Amino acid sequence: MALIKTFGSTIKGIVSVVPKSTEDNLDLPNISIEDKESLIKHTGIRFRKTDAKSGVDVKDYFSKGIEELLSNLNWEKASIDILICVTQTTTISIPSVSCRIHGDMKFEKQTLCYDINSGCSGFVYGLQTVQSIMHGFNQKNVRAILCCGDLSSQLIEENDNTTKPIFSDGVSIIGIESTEDRNEITGYFNLETAGQGQSAIFTSKGADDKKYMRLNGIDIYNYSVKYVPKNIIDLLEFASKELNFPDYFIFHQANKLINESIRKKLGLDESIVPSSLYEFGNTASASIPITLNTIWENHKKNNGWILISGFGVGFSMASGLIKFEPDFCMQPIEIEL
Amino acid sequence: MHDLLSIEKFLQFTADELLVDANEINKNTTFRSIRTWSSLNALVFISRINEEIDVLISASDLASCQTLEDIHLLLKTRFNGTD
Repeated sequence: MALIKTFGSTIKGIVSVVPKSTEDNLDLPNISIEDKESLIKHTGIRFRKTDAKSGVDVKDYFSKGIEELLSNLNWEKASIDILICVTQTTTISIPSVSCRIHGDMKFEKQTLCYDINSGCSGFVYGLQTVQSIMHGFNQKNVRAILCCGDLSSQLIEENDNTTKPIFSDGVSIIGIESTEDRNEITGYFNLETAGQGQSAIFTSKGADDKKYMRLNGIDIYNYSVKYVPKNIIDLLEFASKELNFPDYFIFHQANKLINESIRKKLGLDESIVPSSLYEFGNTASASIPITLNTIWENHKKNNGWILISGFGVGFSMASGLIKFEPDFCMQPIEIEL
Repeated sequence: MHDLLSIEKFLQFTADELLVDANEINKNTTFRSIRTWSSLNALVFISRINEEIDVLISASDLASCQTLEDIHLLLKTRFNGTD
């Protein structure tokens, strides 16, 4: 079992960047108004952020977020040791998004860079990766930037009314820094895979020969409900904590049906399981940080630890119990490139 | 025994969830021909079954069924732990 502790680092700030352009599921063509209302009721998704313009690169969204993060944390680029990007919508496969950002934004040579190909579970995988690398560094103070997110609308076929109403574009940039005590436990993670579910979300060629995302909604539901609650229970047991310990449970924003089933199976009160589905839809690996952005100015602190759980494409699932007391975690920023 | 394991209760549940009149369906109804059946409603139906009796029906399970009775038999088998 990939039950892992991380030590000596925490999230200092989160910036999320979404396209200004918004689509409303009530405006979907070729669907009756009753079906559209039912769709919104069951998926929980009304609005989607989309930037499917040809040539738009997820790198540009990451870069904008990095500028904001550095400015808000008052960090110099020269102080960044790690830059890792988690995305599945690169416009080119070589070189990596992180190396391109490093070059274009003129980071220093000392910065470690690579990409992780991961979707809905990607924020949790990325955070665990970054924190583990940080702990192994041969220096006391380490700073990292983790970029997560996709421009999923680039993978949606124009008339696909199954996939289109769910996915939304957005990225999150997370600043992570060493704590005073490098041996203090700052995270517990449970990272798992059910690869037999690889066909639940995949890409295949459309009529125009481009690759588009396909979903099997029933199988996604089945894998999520079968494995995610157990993944979370096993994590809490590993951390020797009860279900009432985390201040919040922030789930990947898959859709309301799935998220509500998981919440009910765990017996959690709605007040500690926030959702950003209505405004932001399913933003893949950015959905957990975007949800944090939307609630943090009014959050209630108890223990200062939150539980995060990402699950989906793969079928991959990852939960983390993390210390979360950021300096800032502001509302998502809308941009127009 | 859980309510849904009786075919009458299952048919009533199906009618309620798919928003059709109970007399529009019977155990021999081909569920795909129910006028409100859609990919979204299929997902809602399966999630409601899971909430009620903690049984999961996969896409391939559903593909192997034709009638509401087929789904009901599957539920009974799964619920009793013989599959």
